[in-house]
Amino acid sequence: MARSRAQLSDIGESRVAWAGHLRHLAMGILKPSAAVGLALLIGAGVIWAMGEDPIFAYQTLFNGAFKGAGNFVATLQYTTPLLFTGLAVSFAFRAGVANIGVEGQMLFGALAAGIVGYTISAPHFLHVALAMIAAAVAGAVWAFIPAILRARLGVNELVVCLMLNPIALLLTGYFSSYPLKAPGPTNKTYDILASAQLQQFTNSAQLNTGFILALVLLAVFWVIENRTGKGYEWKLVGQNPLFARYGGIGVQKSIIGAFLVSGMVAGLAGAEQVLGVYRAFYNGFSPGYGFDGIAVAMLAKNSPIGVAFAALLLGALNSGGIVMQMMTSVTRDLVKMLEAVIILLLAADFAITSFKARRKVAKAGTAGKSIGGGQA
Amino acid sequence: MVNSVEMRGIVKKFGTLAANNNVDFSAGKGEVHALVGENGAGKTTLMNILYGVIAPDEGSIQIDDRKVHIGNPAVAIGLGIGMVHQHFKLVPSLSVAENIVLGSEPGSRGFFDRLAAMRQVAELADRFALAIDPMATVQDLPVGLQQRVEILKMLYREAKILILDEPTAVLTPQETEELFRTVRNLTSDGKTVIFITHKLNEVMKVSDRVSVMRAGRMVATLNTSEISAAQLAEKMVGRSVLFQVQKQPSEPKEVLLEVKDLRVMSNRGLEAVRGVSLQVRAGEIVGLAGVQGNGQDELVEVLAGLRRSTAGDVLLRGSSSKDFNPRQVREAGVAYIPSDRIKVGLSLDAAIWENMLLGYHATREFNRGGLLDVGKATSFARELISRFDIRGAQVGAPVKSLSGGNQQKVVLAREFSHGRRVIIADQPSRGVDIGAIEFIHKQLVAMRDRGCGVFLISADLDEIFSLSDRILVIFHGEIMGELAARDATVEEVGRLMAGVNRRGGDVIG
Repeated sequence: MARSRAQLSDIGESRVAWAGHLRHLAMGILKPSAAVGLALLIGAGVIWAMGEDPIFAYQTLFNGAFKGAGNFVATLQYTTPLLFTGLAVSFAFRAGVANIGVEGQMLFGALAAGIVGYTISAPHFLHVALAMIAAAVAGAVWAFIPAILRARLGVNELVVCLMLNPIALLLTGYFSSYPLKAPGPTNKTYDILASAQLQQFTNSAQLNTGFILALVLLAVFWVIENRTGKGYEWKLVGQNPLFARYGGIGVQKSIIGAFLVSGMVAGLAGAEQVLGVYRAFYNGFSPGYGFDGIAVAMLAKNSPIGVAFAALLLGALNSGGIVMQMMTSVTRDLVKMLEAVIILLLAADFAITSFKARRKVAKAGTAGKSIGGGQA
Repeated sequence: MVNSVEMRGIVKKFGTLAANNNVDFSAGKGEVHALVGENGAGKTTLMNILYGVIAPDEGSIQIDDRKVHIGNPAVAIGLGIGMVHQHFKLVPSLSVAENIVLGSEPGSRGFFDRLAAMRQVAELADRFALAIDPMATVQDLPVGLQQRVEILKMLYREAKILILDEPTAVLTPQETEELFRTVRNLTSDGKTVIFITHKLNEVMKVSDRVSVMRAGRMVATLNTSEISAAQLAEKMVGRSVLFQVQKQPSEPKEVLLEVKDLRVMSNRGLEAVRGVSLQVRAGEIVGLAGVQGNGQDELVEVLAGLRRSTAGDVLLRGSSSKDFNPRQVREAGVAYIPSDRIKVGLSLDAAIWENMLLGYHATREFNRGGLLDVGKATSFARELISRFDIRGAQVGAPVKSLSGGNQQKVVLAREFSHGRRVIIADQPSRGVDIGAIEFIHKQLVAMRDRGCGVFLISADLDEIFSLSDRILVIFHGEIMGELAARDATVEEVGRLMAGVNRRGGDVIG
């Protein structure tokens, strides 16, 4: 009798566990979708207040993003840099590293790719590969500054990254405006050689093989995060560094490693823009792809698959927004507003969840005590 | 005696856990009343109720024989109740005087009268003989003086009842002496001081009366002069045998773990472990008894590779493991059950299989050239789930979906696999239900019988007595004595826990 009751409660408990698991998954998709829906609703209110028809405006935006091959290619072109930067940020977030310095790491990656693109000559594949490697290394080097400060001295990486971003913008701006400036009216480096160019798919748009590379990279990172020992370590350090340390994982090493890998991906984002789109490093070419990467990572809940969809969404909003601006009196700024509202909603949800979790821990904490001497 | 505080029938439940279970508490005017008990006994909950931070589910409170309802701390302050928390609530960049008057600043028409504040604070400090510079910046002050600022802040608000929550936890011995002097000054001025602590020598030294809490209940309230520290220790850790684990007499074999004259510093830079030596042999369970905060945490952290020692050595099967990191400790065959499974022993958001894999994820068994064999890891986890009877566990579900007892079984399952020989079990059954306690105890005995050496650290005398083959008692970072479990008595262990040695001499510093 007692046995059967135990078994019954067993089934009950496992049902609860599974239900919780499914709910967790559903929430992962539902919450970002709800944030997007709510943002569109608020946007509709703004459009209506401007005296425009929200349905027509959204229709032109949607058609501008997806209707016809030309529009769709443009959307993918906008999506490509966000795939890289979104992946860079989400990978770091998952490892417990708030790398919001992707913008700066991307700029140095771009500059490095631009320099290698015109200073050496090599066969096509080798030249592209060398430029990409240079970009990855440059991104990692710039990421090493917040990494070492956080791991060794416990300096908050958010602050360091925020301050390094404008420094990167101004430094790369200086190089492309003075010592490395190509003759002519614009502040840019020399055009890269044809052998370093990433192949564009069509004559009318700049979508290039960098897009394919981004998709491959997403797949590779899915494997790294879910199927390798390193990915396992990064995830645990991100979730609970005390637990990771107790299990023999080097927490400082893990943090530095995650920062460097994230910086490499950020560097590749810059390489794609220089080798595939602009064919030279232009001062201030980025409209803030690194920052949009933060939005992508938040929408994606830090999963590579999520990054693909979130980047596509933001890419579509941006490319459709241009068409909407041409067809209606609603300007592209609406898209920036939508992005901001989405982030705000997701951040508010995150704040509420972590607040709840902290209260839970505080309550449960009466039964436990902390272990001293924790690192980083 | 006039009671300035009287709490009756206080009940407070968090979920199913009764943090306060029908507690009566009273403190007289002008007395120092010590409130003692282990961590989690419900002391802080009770005082948070008195201070209006937590609302009780049941019960009534009287202040100066008047029934009151304390809905929030502002009401408590209005009633003359002040609380100094373990973590100070001061503004580090402001001056002492500014901190003290903050919230009820002198001045008029919205302007702050800094001079008046300085003068008032200086007068207040003078009146209670609490020397302090009102113009000093708080962040420049040593911890003892910061605490003094907190106390002055309460006095500035004319508190008659002061609650000090583990006030000595952050103090040096000299600062502690100063604090005791202050406390006596306050009571001679007619104030009531409620002193929360789990250090027995402080109770004996400073209090007039003492109330003992255990597992949410008030066990006893006594005059301090009528009880010894040893009796107090016994009351604190209790003796409520629920079951006895069946075990054969031990057959100790070779020494697996040896600690030689180990010295360890605490986070505060004080010597927490002061020359501890001990041995754990294969096939025996050695229990380390002691009131919490007597160096157990620091000792265990060194054994686990989480903290560095300053002197002495730790030998694993005869070879030194000094300055090993946690990975090296693991590879040397040490299993470690940390006292806090939520913060250290598990990652609640990670899946059960991921929690069970920790420490083995880099071994050839589960990792080939950097690639994780997830299939093997999950089937390994499934095997452990059935072997350790972890109820309601799906390998892919997060650990937080399990109950406390089943979470602890996940820790045990992981640590007891892969043939570890030395087991360090720190409070292995804290906060789990009785069924899980029994299971955990049986597992520990089974590991002993399989030839492991088990080092059990527990503040619970029941656990120590029912599992140990030998009992060591730690007090103030030193081993006070060693007893064979079969002829040890609770009274004797209690005496040693309170720092009184066998000859009856008092070694309290």
